[in-house]
Amino acid sequence: MNFSLLRNPNTLLAATVVLIAFLIPLFIGSNLYYLTVLVLMLIFIIYASAWNFLTFSGQGSLGHAAFFGLGAYSASLIAVRMGLPSLVTLLFGGIFAAVIGVLIGLTCVRLREWFLAMVTFGFAVIIQTLVVSQLAPVTGGWDGFPVPKLVPSGIQGSLMIEYYLILIITIATILLFRWLLKSRIGLALAAIRENEIEARAAGINPVPFKLFAFGISAFFAGIAGSLEISHFGYVTPEIFGIDLSFWPIIYSITGGLGTLAGPVIGTIVVTLLWDGLNAAGLTYARFIIIGVLLVLIIIFLPKGLVSLPAEITKRLRRKDA
Amino acid sequence: MDVSISILSQVAFWGLYSGCIYILLATGLNLIFGVMKIVNFAHGEFLMLGTYITFFLFVITGFNPYVLLIGSIPILIGIGVIVERLCFRPILGTGKLNEIFISLGLIYIFQNLVAMVWTDEWRSIKSPFADMTIDLGPLQLPLDYLIIIVVTIVILVSLYIFLQKTPIGKAIRATSQNRKGAMLMGIDVEKINMLTFGIGAGLAGAAGTLWAVSGQVFNPYMGSIPAIKGFAIIILGGLGSIPGAIVGGLAIGMVENFTAFTLGGSWKDAVSFILLIVVLVLRPTGLFGEEEE
Repeated sequence: MNFSLLRNPNTLLAATVVLIAFLIPLFIGSNLYYLTVLVLMLIFIIYASAWNFLTFSGQGSLGHAAFFGLGAYSASLIAVRMGLPSLVTLLFGGIFAAVIGVLIGLTCVRLREWFLAMVTFGFAVIIQTLVVSQLAPVTGGWDGFPVPKLVPSGIQGSLMIEYYLILIITIATILLFRWLLKSRIGLALAAIRENEIEARAAGINPVPFKLFAFGISAFFAGIAGSLEISHFGYVTPEIFGIDLSFWPIIYSITGGLGTLAGPVIGTIVVTLLWDGLNAAGLTYARFIIIGVLLVLIIIFLPKGLVSLPAEITKRLRRKDA
Repeated sequence: MDVSISILSQVAFWGLYSGCIYILLATGLNLIFGVMKIVNFAHGEFLMLGTYITFFLFVITGFNPYVLLIGSIPILIGIGVIVERLCFRPILGTGKLNEIFISLGLIYIFQNLVAMVWTDEWRSIKSPFADMTIDLGPLQLPLDYLIIIVVTIVILVSLYIFLQKTPIGKAIRATSQNRKGAMLMGIDVEKINMLTFGIGAGLAGAAGTLWAVSGQVFNPYMGSIPAIKGFAIIILGGLGSIPGAIVGGLAIGMVENFTAFTLGGSWKDAVSFILLIVVLVLRPTGLFGEEEE
């Protein structure tokens, strides 16, 4: 056992968070509402981390709901048509989303940021349009269709099992991202993000790396989508809506863009705020409050909550001087 | 051949009319891009606000909806100026991703604000000229569509005169051509940013009024589809080019209506996106876009 790893405060913090995540159902286990909030929180941590992975390569997407929804639809269609369990088909969902992601990435890798944002933004809207019109015979149009649950609800404590299952998937996802970013791939992505021309000069061909980032990001967005749908047990085209493209962005930006911890912290904070506002009776106004929050954070805390301790010490020091 | 010239020219006329609304939207986007070098992704929401302001004024005043352009344009200019001052000015130049994501926040705010005030039901208003057509031989031209085309031309000509002849218009063009140079000539570029953003929003507001008058339905979330068409147009016509926006707008209007005519109405929205992708694959900088930076 390497104890020096535990001396790193960040690792220690992460280990504490994981420990709390494992223990928390023991305290609230009987309250299904809280458990549902936690399950959705985990799913969105996967989704936000997947979205955030794309920004490591200097790309950004305004329409990740497309991949979230495509994953959900393909996984649940296979589950319904072939009678496979959701736990298996969610992999298909991820793979299908990744294939489409790479195809979209192929048209985008050479593009400047504006065009990339336009393509991704448009893609989600167009997919939704197609799902409710051309593809309606397969997808059920606006009505959608029921999907088998991840853990059949007949089993004793099914929600609890689901929570631990998704918790393990979440941790595995984040560890994979961590490993990827520390590997040569991560270094190449950072080089491309900082200066694409210099990266080229250093012998890095940006195209495969950018496509890889797109594929991985879409893959996990698709996984998150299939998880969410198999949690609810029903899929409708609203999954492609602007809301779902918006969530990973606000989570990642609130927490801190381009950091591993950012999407995790952001998802926890914003989800709690979201449900808190609902409990406070601000059911509709909370949409606007969250929108304003995003704008304020981009303006005043562009590096997100992870940078807050550093910002505060900086401010305090400036006052001392 | 069953498809006669008269049906084809009828479809072309529809294309011309729907192109007009997109031209107004895309001209605003390009004007803003030219000066500020940002793409406002919430531009479709300005159109949506335009439809609702028209709807609101129409319900309380009962005026002819075309007159309500006098209301929707200035209100949207005001909203645009405020949005620029509060949201875009603080983050201008801090990174393209920030500038993109902030407009997503704006989309969220505007859509839900409108949904809170007017609910998310589909709405429409009825133009007083709704049932009138002008018969030109085999062609039947709805009067509303003709008025919309004329109004668009009037707005574009006034914009042209404003940009060419007035001192402020000249300052906008100067800033668009060379920001630093304009600054050195004593132009307050921040004020120009604010004003340009306002004018862009005002054009989208005008497009919104015309959208409502033409009898099309609207709800708080309807802005994204016209916005995507706006993007397709500025990619076709080149980022920042106003003549490009006009040509691109007409092209999209035509393509969309001929697609609806041949493949069916449900392809109408998808086709402009497909066009956008095709153009970007063939020419990553846009059809008439110049290599820059």
